[in-house]
Amino acid sequence: MPKRGFQGAVLRSFGAQDHEATVTDTEMLAPGFRRIWFTSATLFDEIEPAPTAWLRFWFPDPDGKDVEHQRAYTISEADVEANTFAVDVVLHEPAGAGTTWAANAQPGMTISLTSMGSSRFELPAELPAELPAGYLLIGDSSSVAALNSIVRTIPAEIPIELYLEQHRDEDKLIPLADHPRLSIHWVPRHGEESFAAAIEARNWSNWYAWANPESASLKHIRNRLRDEFGFPKSEFHQQAYWVHGRSMGKLRSNRDIADDAADYTAETAPAESDPIPTSATDRVSAPAPTNSKNQGAWRAQAGSRLMAPLRRSLIIAGIVQGIVTLIQLAPFFLLVQLARLLLDDAPESQLWRVGWWAVGLLGLGTLLSSALMFWLHTVDARFEQSIRQRLLGKLARLPLGWFDARTSGQVKQLVQDDTLSLHYLVTHAVPDAVAAVVAPVAVLVYLFVVDWRLALLLFIPILVYVLTMSKLVVQSGSKTSHALKWAERMNSEAGGYLEGQPVVRVFGGATASTFRARLGEYITFLNEWQRPFIRQKTIMDLATRPATFLLLIVVFGTLLITTDRMNPVDLLPFLLLGTTFGARLLGIGYGLSGLRAGFLAARRIQVTLDEPELETATATATDTEAASGLVEFENVDFSYRPNVPVLQAISIRLKPGTVTALVGSSGSGKSTLAALLARFHDVDSGRIRIGGRDIRELTAEELYARVGFVFQQTQLVHGTVHDNIALAVPDATRESVENAAREAQIHERILRLPQGYETVLGPDAALSGGERQRLTIARALLADTPVLVLDEATAFADPESEYLVQQALNRLTVGRTVLVIAHRLHTITGVDQIVVLDHGRIAEVGIHEELLLTNGRYRQLWDAGGTVNPTATMTEETR
Amino acid sequence: MIRTLFALLPPDTRSKTTTHLILTVLSAMLRAGTAVALVPLIAALFGQVPKDAWPWVALLVALTVAGWIVDWLVARIGFDLGFGLLDTGQHAVADQISRTRLTWFNAQNTATARQAIASTGPELVGLMIYLVTPLLSAILLPIAIAIALVPIAWQLGLAALAGVPILLGAYVAASRIGRAANQGMMDANSSLTERIVEFARTQHALRAARRVAPEHSLVGEALAHQHGATRRLLLMQIPGQLLFSLASQLVLIILAGTTVVLASSGKLSVPEAIALIVVIVRYLEPFTVLAELSTGVEISIGTLRRMHSVLNAPQTNSGTEEAIITNAASIRLEDVRFGYGGDDLAVLDGFDLTLQPGTTTAIVGPSGSGKSTVLALLAGLHDPGSGRILIDDIDAASLTAEARAKMVSVVFQHPYLFDGTIRENILAGNPDATDPEMKEVARLARVDSVTNRLPDGWDARVGEAGTSLSGGERQRVSIARALLKPAPLLLVDEATSALDTENEIAITAALTDDSRSRTRVIVAHRLGSIRAADRVIFLEDGRIVEDGSIDELLAADCRFAEFWRQQDAATGWRLGTTPVA
Repeated sequence: MPKRGFQGAVLRSFGAQDHEATVTDTEMLAPGFRRIWFTSATLFDEIEPAPTAWLRFWFPDPDGKDVEHQRAYTISEADVEANTFAVDVVLHEPAGAGTTWAANAQPGMTISLTSMGSSRFELPAELPAELPAGYLLIGDSSSVAALNSIVRTIPAEIPIELYLEQHRDEDKLIPLADHPRLSIHWVPRHGEESFAAAIEARNWSNWYAWANPESASLKHIRNRLRDEFGFPKSEFHQQAYWVHGRSMGKLRSNRDIADDAADYTAETAPAESDPIPTSATDRVSAPAPTNSKNQGAWRAQAGSRLMAPLRRSLIIAGIVQGIVTLIQLAPFFLLVQLARLLLDDAPESQLWRVGWWAVGLLGLGTLLSSALMFWLHTVDARFEQSIRQRLLGKLARLPLGWFDARTSGQVKQLVQDDTLSLHYLVTHAVPDAVAAVVAPVAVLVYLFVVDWRLALLLFIPILVYVLTMSKLVVQSGSKTSHALKWAERMNSEAGGYLEGQPVVRVFGGATASTFRARLGEYITFLNEWQRPFIRQKTIMDLATRPATFLLLIVVFGTLLITTDRMNPVDLLPFLLLGTTFGARLLGIGYGLSGLRAGFLAARRIQVTLDEPELETATATATDTEAASGLVEFENVDFSYRPNVPVLQAISIRLKPGTVTALVGSSGSGKSTLAALLARFHDVDSGRIRIGGRDIRELTAEELYARVGFVFQQTQLVHGTVHDNIALAVPDATRESVENAAREAQIHERILRLPQGYETVLGPDAALSGGERQRLTIARALLADTPVLVLDEATAFADPESEYLVQQALNRLTVGRTVLVIAHRLHTITGVDQIVVLDHGRIAEVGIHEELLLTNGRYRQLWDAGGTVNPTATMTEETR
Repeated sequence: MIRTLFALLPPDTRSKTTTHLILTVLSAMLRAGTAVALVPLIAALFGQVPKDAWPWVALLVALTVAGWIVDWLVARIGFDLGFGLLDTGQHAVADQISRTRLTWFNAQNTATARQAIASTGPELVGLMIYLVTPLLSAILLPIAIAIALVPIAWQLGLAALAGVPILLGAYVAASRIGRAANQGMMDANSSLTERIVEFARTQHALRAARRVAPEHSLVGEALAHQHGATRRLLLMQIPGQLLFSLASQLVLIILAGTTVVLASSGKLSVPEAIALIVVIVRYLEPFTVLAELSTGVEISIGTLRRMHSVLNAPQTNSGTEEAIITNAASIRLEDVRFGYGGDDLAVLDGFDLTLQPGTTTAIVGPSGSGKSTVLALLAGLHDPGSGRILIDDIDAASLTAEARAKMVSVVFQHPYLFDGTIRENILAGNPDATDPEMKEVARLARVDSVTNRLPDGWDARVGEAGTSLSGGERQRVSIARALLKPAPLLLVDEATSALDTENEIAITAALTDDSRSRTRVIVAHRLGSIRAADRVIFLEDGRIVEDGSIDELLAADCRFAEFWRQQDAATGWRLGTTPVA
């Protein structure tokens, strides 16, 4: 087997697995840019291809020496089922091992490769609203494959700025991935600073940056992004893909610098061989001067803004906790003193003094830490109360659409779990982290002062631990992400199995066996994953046991003492504190982990507090009072994300007292349009007027005195039936409440409840869907708004009381201006106006008979069965 | 907890468990030996001839190495046991779930069961090695050191022995207070935030009612009020956090003090006293380990609790009879009583119903009247609290679970399909069915229009929980599955959500065109499916208020007739038409 040098040895020691790959095809995608397809029977058993994932290839020496050279290439495409994949190679001059091989690659040739330690681009799996504002991608021909794979992953509505450093004219012919909002900037190289300077000076707030350029360019890019633009570390991924000057050609596609440095088998590198041909027209404008206005703001930093008022308190708490930790270590120091005194045959009074010191410090430590905890709890109580009040205020001013975009679980997470995490952060996590750091550092300093030789010795077991651990992490590599996938999968499988229990009980056999098989596979996976690590885990455990430290201390201590190079008393601190040093040091990571969850929670809360609110504009004089039931949409545009229009140029007039139905397939924007009238969101342009006044100029009070809505999902507040119906008219008499209930066909049902109108309802009220619907219809009847937004599906929510809900709706719509979202066309054949929407635009307007005759979109929908997306909901279930 | 743990260990690992225990004790003894060997060692180092320490160093090395070897073995066995736990534990939970009474699965228990399957695996593997072993040695080691101290300085040894229960007591008390504080914190937090969650949940209603501002200030005031009260309670929990460290430091001072007193009274030489101080610190070390383990202990206790609560959930009753009926059976419910949350809230009480062989019965009634409960009892998914269910005069309770399941086939409202092909899912009804039989029921259930559409046809995969198919298509596959099962009783729970025409036809076909001889029951919401029945039962508040053929009930012009008319009117409803008086 050919030699693989130091890298090979390292990889082998980390247990890297070799895979054999055979070339199946090659193609020149651009001049000097070759794609090579491979097939490998074993590779995809180990890895799962992900964007930017790369492989380490072992190329034969181009001069025929008995060595192999390692080069890394990004997987540019992969088909796991077919066991095939491809990589792109830049064929540059002079050619190195990788390029030589790639230039001559023919179908049938084989190569061995390993997959150890690859990067992997992932979109944050959170709310779409929390995706970055855009992606700033930076690289060159050697990282095009990786950047392409990122571009393909990013959702269509998110903008991408792709900066590529250009080394040859042909670079621009390399195919780039398509994306609707991608803009590409080729930057010719003029030394190492030109690339960084070419990046546009602008506000990059909430953007995410991913950079894979040449090493020296990266240094400048890093400075520019971090210092000038303010990119936080967590939002900036950086890795140089090659080093200029150190053999420009041959290392060009090599991955990381560490690899390069170790690559001593390389041929002597030619000095920088290129003045790169450039054309003046490609030149990018001069760099913008450093300017503080380019400093952006990131959501990732929101957490620290939330915590800012506590900063001083937390620093003080940290200092006090540090003192407490030192006091807790003091007894050990006193024991050493005691031993000294004993050896010096000190009088008993001095011994007693040490004793009193010990008791005194114990008392002081206890007092201080009680006081600290008491104080932190007080600080925390005040802080949290203000957070809750701010959240409460925020919730009252957010657009209603904000609630629709989130599940009730997410809102609950924010209000309940995140505030709890904050409590832990303030009262526990910060002191714990300080203690975890201060204790080992203090011990270490003390021991080094006493005897640095012995203190150094204590790092041997730590080194064993760290090396074994990193080996384990590397070996575990792809399996770790598999494990996460498995956990997710088992969670949903278990959910399905539990939900499917009635089916499993009745049908047994096959319905249960897939779950069983999956469980078996999961257990097998855990076995295969964890069993090989038993040895390493045991080594790690044994190495950091106190017994191991004791052994080292005793053996070398005795050696030093017997050779008169150490005072026996100096051994005592080691015997007392050195044995647990390992556990303390390794505890740092654990102690700090508590901070993370807290900061994530703080970030989510601050992001919510930063959400834009609905504002009431001042009235303009152009408004003229009109009939209160008149609704006008004037040239309304709306989108949830910039440049992804949901509604365009919508103009409709709803005459007072008429019913208008919105019709269209799902995704046509009909629910969104209806929601705009109730001001769940604000329009991007154009305006909506009720009674002649722009709804943005109405206060919430004024607006909802004019518009009411009844959607599929009902919201009952915690209170009596009476309170629920009289929600909008708190001082309504029982008589008027009963009248509304009667009209909503729910009066008799209410009388059958245990306490009639005084029965307290909660989210789990023992009412059927149809009954809850009728209750909210009664509420709307009592609120008596001139304009009403309605979801027609309401009428079909509960088959047992469809009829009653329909009757209630009939009462409700009398004499109001109604905008109804229609799912079944036959229910709206009698309305005054039908608006047919198609892809966010109005396709047709008219009444049923007319529209049928015109043979347009409405006719299509009608012929398709008239039932369009019957289960569509407008509002999320907010329980 | 320990009992749950032992119950979960595979039965053939008893001897391994014993070996593990013995080796753990041995390991503690070896480590106690190392600690005590320090006494002569340190005494020699502080004495006149430090060189005399070397033999003791050799002994210490030997004991430490022996300790490593034993610990290595302990780890091996511990991991083995852990993997055994994983295997039996996971399967035991999965088995138990298929036998647990369905009424047990409320939201919280379902979440517990889900966690017990999905997220305990890695936990179980490490349970022995990261928890049981360290916990055991943390308790055994101080005892062993204390005992070994007795021959050297009996006063110290006894004091150390007395310290063990004190420190363990402090540990247990501290973690109990800690747990209570945690729980208190959670409760306080949710009581403080529940009103905000509620406020967020009902924003639409509150805004529409123009109540946001007043509610906002009301909730805010209530919060401020609650704040003070709950926080004061929490402060009371602080002592728990100090208890253990206070106790261990006190024990250290007392033991060190004893040593010094012994030394100054001449009972111990100075070097011996110094050595003993080092041993005392050794003795206290395991307690620190214990304190560090406490988070892990809490997590593992949580895991074991979850498994315990699943494994001890009430099971379904089943008998031993193996009766098999293939033709339409008669069904009798006699004086059946059933409730979901105990007998106080019975849904059905004294419920009697007889179904003649081969008939088709529709159960109709307002929501909450008990329709689905009757169906679930017939299906054997719930056991009656009292009373009997007789199938061809055989008491259903006397049948084995398998025989009981063979009696019924069910079309569920929420059809659960497993991740396989359409063919496999239909064949789940009867794995022995021939291809023509399968295709025939698929035709009745209108599945053929689905398979025609899909490129893979019958071998198209339905995806996890059937998500590759639309709701209606899943429903149709489940109808075919139910039709294929050769059971004497076919039960249909009609979906409440609007069905498309094709599904309505499929349901009707399941009731009328199915050629198998059986008794059929449908919980019906729509006239189409009611029409297919030759008998209608109208349920209200868990009682049969009307019973007869459609014509009879329409002629009686009572509850069912009203329901029929309303359904009829609802079908033709048009928005904005004049309200009916």
